[in-house]
Amino acid sequence: MREVSAPRYQLVDSVPGFVVVERAAPSNQARCYFCTEATAPKEAYREGDQEWHFEEAAQSFQFSVRDNATGEVLRFHELLGLLYYACLEPGSQLRRIGEVAQSVGVSIYIAITYDSPDGTPCEVAASKLEWLNRAFNDRIRTPGKKILILPDLFGIQKQVSSGQIMLDFSLTTMTERSDSVA
Amino acid sequence: MRLQQIADKLGLEKLTPVFDQDIDGVYISDMISDVIANAKPGNLLVTVQVHANAVAAANLVDVCAIVLAQGKRPSDDVLRMAEKAKITVLSTPLNRWQVASKLYEVGLR
Repeated sequence: MREVSAPRYQLVDSVPGFVVVERAAPSNQARCYFCTEATAPKEAYREGDQEWHFEEAAQSFQFSVRDNATGEVLRFHELLGLLYYACLEPGSQLRRIGEVAQSVGVSIYIAITYDSPDGTPCEVAASKLEWLNRAFNDRIRTPGKKILILPDLFGIQKQVSSGQIMLDFSLTTMTERSDSVA
Repeated sequence: MRLQQIADKLGLEKLTPVFDQDIDGVYISDMISDVIANAKPGNLLVTVQVHANAVAAANLVDVCAIVLAQGKRPSDDVLRMAEKAKITVLSTPLNRWQVASKLYEVGLR
């Protein structure tokens, strides 16, 4: 086995949980949050004039990135998941950009974030995205390959279905079935 | 050990061209989030997951190749996606336990 030097930036403090998608009545507004409970909560609850109902949940995880040179750690609590360019609709602008980038060995991913309380997507600071990009690129061993994680400057979050993001929706369904049998 | 050697020894069906490289260990999982969190670059990923996001995760982590167990076969779109990212996709009728046993037998740890 080949010796590989330790990367400077590294994913650490991985916390498993669920991305829960809920929808409000009567507004039909949807939102997501991260939950670390053993199972995703499904009870409806009232908030102001809206009643929020569980819609679906996906197994996921939250993590931090550590700079091994300084010991500094950044937590990525705003990050819902990553979206691979090739999972976008064929012909969409970003998919076409991704195809060009992939042809020279650069794989584009979009950082999809949770919504802030006012309903607008949270932003991942540019400095944090730099760390995230370095964490994935530092450990790549395939010559000529690069990962490029971009902020969602394109409003992709509002256009894609949750199944297009890198989350485990189908496996949550299996978990729920086994829970219900027990 | 090289990917091509493993593919030949286990009689794996090649669903994409083989992008031959050294294999550094094996990771078995059907969860995208688990692969992102725990698989290592150079690992051989053994799974039954044929969703496009399995390729997305494999590419993000820079795994060596995906071995689909139990005869699973992704759509042609997913295979094209893997090929563009130079991710080798192999298939076998063996289940994940049998694949793991055979990989161990040929010396992968």
